Amino acid sequence: MDVTREQVRDGLRAARYITNARVETAVFLALVLEKPLLAEGPAGAGKTELAKVLAEMLQTDLVRLQCYEGLDEARALFEWNYQKQLLRIQADRAEGRGWDEVSHHIFSREFLLERPLSRAITAPRTVVLLIDEVDKADPEFEAFLLEVLSDFQVSVPELGTIRAQQRPVVVLTSNRTRELSEALVRRCLHLFVDFPGPDTEAEIVALKVPELDERLRVQVARFVAGLRKLDLRKAPSIAETLDWARGLCALGVHELDAATVRQTLALIVKHEEDLRKAESKVSTLLAAAARS
Amino acid sequence: MRARILDFVQTLRAEGVDVSVAETMDAARAVAAAGVEREVLRESLAACLVKNEDDRPLFDRLFDAAFPLVGAAREAGKRRKRVAGGDGAATRASGQGTAAGRGSLREEPGDIPRRARRREMPRDASEARRGRVARRLALIRLPFREFTARDVQEARDVVRELGRGLRARLARRERQARRGRLDFRRTIRSSLAMGGVPARPRFRARRPGRPDLVVLCDLSGSVAAASELLLGLIAPAAGWFRRSHLFAYVDRLCAVSIEDGHVAPEGVLDLHARSDFGRVLDELWHTHRDVLTRSTLLLVLGDARNNRRPPRAELLRAVGDRVERLVWIVPEPRARWDTGDSVLSRYAPACDAVFECVDLSALVAAVRQTL
Repeated sequence: MDVTREQVRDGLRAARYITNARVETAVFLALVLEKPLLAEGPAGAGKTELAKVLAEMLQTDLVRLQCYEGLDEARALFEWNYQKQLLRIQADRAEGRGWDEVSHHIFSREFLLERPLSRAITAPRTVVLLIDEVDKADPEFEAFLLEVLSDFQVSVPELGTIRAQQRPVVVLTSNRTRELSEALVRRCLHLFVDFPGPDTEAEIVALKVPELDERLRVQVARFVAGLRKLDLRKAPSIAETLDWARGLCALGVHELDAATVRQTLALIVKHEEDLRKAESKVSTLLAAAARS
Repeated sequence: MRARILDFVQTLRAEGVDVSVAETMDAARAVAAAGVEREVLRESLAACLVKNEDDRPLFDRLFDAAFPLVGAAREAGKRRKRVAGGDGAATRASGQGTAAGRGSLREEPGDIPRRARRREMPRDASEARRGRVARRLALIRLPFREFTARDVQEARDVVRELGRGLRARLARRERQARRGRLDFRRTIRSSLAMGGVPARPRFRARRPGRPDLVVLCDLSGSVAAASELLLGLIAPAAGWFRRSHLFAYVDRLCAVSIEDGHVAPEGVLDLHARSDFGRVLDELWHTHRDVLTRSTLLLVLGDARNNRRPPRAELLRAVGDRVERLVWIVPEPRARWDTGDSVLSRYAPACDAVFECVDLSALVAAVRQTL
C-alpha cells in the first residue's frame, strides 16, 4: 500500500486515536510491507481499538475473528453448506441428472460458507482483518493461521487455493496468556502497546470526554497512572478511565478529593482485593496527582 | 545501511535474540520504506526483529551502541559509558562501539537470568540448543536434595512450561469428556434440514463438575525446593479448578500465591520455625475446614518430619474422609521414610495415594496421575 508516515500519523489522529511514534511506525510498516501486525500488551491498552481505528482510517470494513478455546477451522476458515448441498442433490435427482454432473458442482464456491478468514481473503477490496486474542485459541489453531498470514490464501481441498484479490491488513492481538508459536510470531511485525503516560491519557480524556474540565482531567490521568503502578490484579484500562471521567462529570464533581475518589473507585477498580488495596492508597495517590 | 543492519543483526544474535533470515529481510525492507531518522529507525528495527518484549531493553542498549547519535557522539558515549562502567573505548565508531557494548553487557550483573544463561552458552545456535536440551534432561532427573540455588532458578522455567502443558491437558480432557451419549431426538430434528439424512449426529452435553483443589506445601529448608517447584507446576493449572487454595506451612498454615514462578506468602510465614504438621492439621481443620469439600482434591507435599511433636493423625483421617481425594507427595527416597523423626506411616493410611518424588520427573508424573 502506498502511504507515508505522515499520512499514517494524521490518519490515526483524524480517527481520534492518540498514540506515540512507536505505534505509528509499526502501523506504517504493516501497511507498506503488507505484513500482519501482532499487537501485544496489557488488557485495555487499546490493541483492539487500534484495528477498529485502522479500518476507519482506511475507510474500509473490519472483519473480526474473536478467538476462544476450541475455535476450529470450520468456524474460522470456511465450511461446506451441507444443507444446501443436500437440497441440490435431491433437486438434481428429481430432474434425473447423473452423479458426475452433480458431484461436479456441489463443491463450488456457491456451497461454501464464508467464515472471517475466508471473508477477509475473498473481499473485493482491502479490508482490515482483526484476529482478536490469538492467545486464547488453541496452539493448533495457529497452524491454520500460518497459510493465511504468510501467503494470504486459503486452501480448500475440494476446490483448490483461493488467493486474496486484495491483501487484507491484518492485526493480531494477544494478552500473552501463553507464548505464541515461533512460526506465527516470525511472520508478523511486533508491536507492544503499553498503557499511555499520564499526559497522553489526559489528551485521550480531553478528546473523548471534552466536558470534563482541564484541571480535573490531568488529576484523573495522573491518579490512574499511579493506580497502575500499584500491584493490582487488573490494572485499570483506558476505557475504565473514560468511564470514570464520565462518571465524575455526571456527578458534577469539580474537585478530586479523597471522599469522591472512594465513592467512585468502583468504576476503575473491579476486584474486591484490588479495591481494598487501592482504597488504602487513595490519599497518597491523590497527593502525588496534585503535585506537578 | 544494509551492511550496518546486517552487523546489527549479528550483534543481536550474539546476545541470544533469535533473528531469522526472513526477519532480517523484513528489517531491510522496513528501513528502506521508513527512512533512517533515528527514532523511526529504532522502532522499525524493533518491530521487525524483537518479537518478545522482554528483549526490548537489550535491543535498546545495543541499538544505542550500534547507531550512536550523530553530532552528539559525546552524549551517546556518556550514556554508553554508564552501561559499560567507564569503558573509555565506547565513544569510537559504530563497529567498535558495538563490540564495547557487548563486552560491557557480559560483565553486567543482575541482568535477566535467562539471558545470562544464554550468554554463557556456545555461539553456535544448534550446539546451544543441544546443550539446553541436555541440561533440561539432566535437571529433571536431578534429586531435589542436590539442588543448588541456580538449579532451582532454572527448574522454575522448566516447571512453568510444564504447568502450561498441564493446564492444556486438563482442558482437553474436559472437552473430550463433555461429549455425552447420542441425543436421538435432536439428531432426527437436525436431520430434517438435510432431507432426513442424519449427517450430523447430536450429542447430549455432559457438564462434568470441576473439582476444588487444595495444596499444602512444606516450605521448611529440607523440602523447600520441591515444594516451590510443585507450587510452580500447579499454579498455571490452578485457574482451571472450580476453586483453588494454595497453602504453605512450616509450623503454621499460610495462604500463598505464585507470582512469576516465585512463592509469595499472603501472611506471615516463619521459614526457620520447626516443622509441626500436627499443628498445621489442627489449623486446617479448625479454621479452614470450609475449603475442604466433597469434591476437593487435597495435595500434601512434605517429609512428615514432625520434630517429635504429636502427629495428630486422627485429624488427617477426618480430613481424608471429608475430601474426595487426599494425595501425599514425599520428596524423600522411600528408604528414608519413617526413619528418625519421620512419622509418615502414621499419616499414610489416611491418604488415597502416597507418591515418592525425589526428582522433577517423578513430581510431574505424580501430578499428572493425580489431576
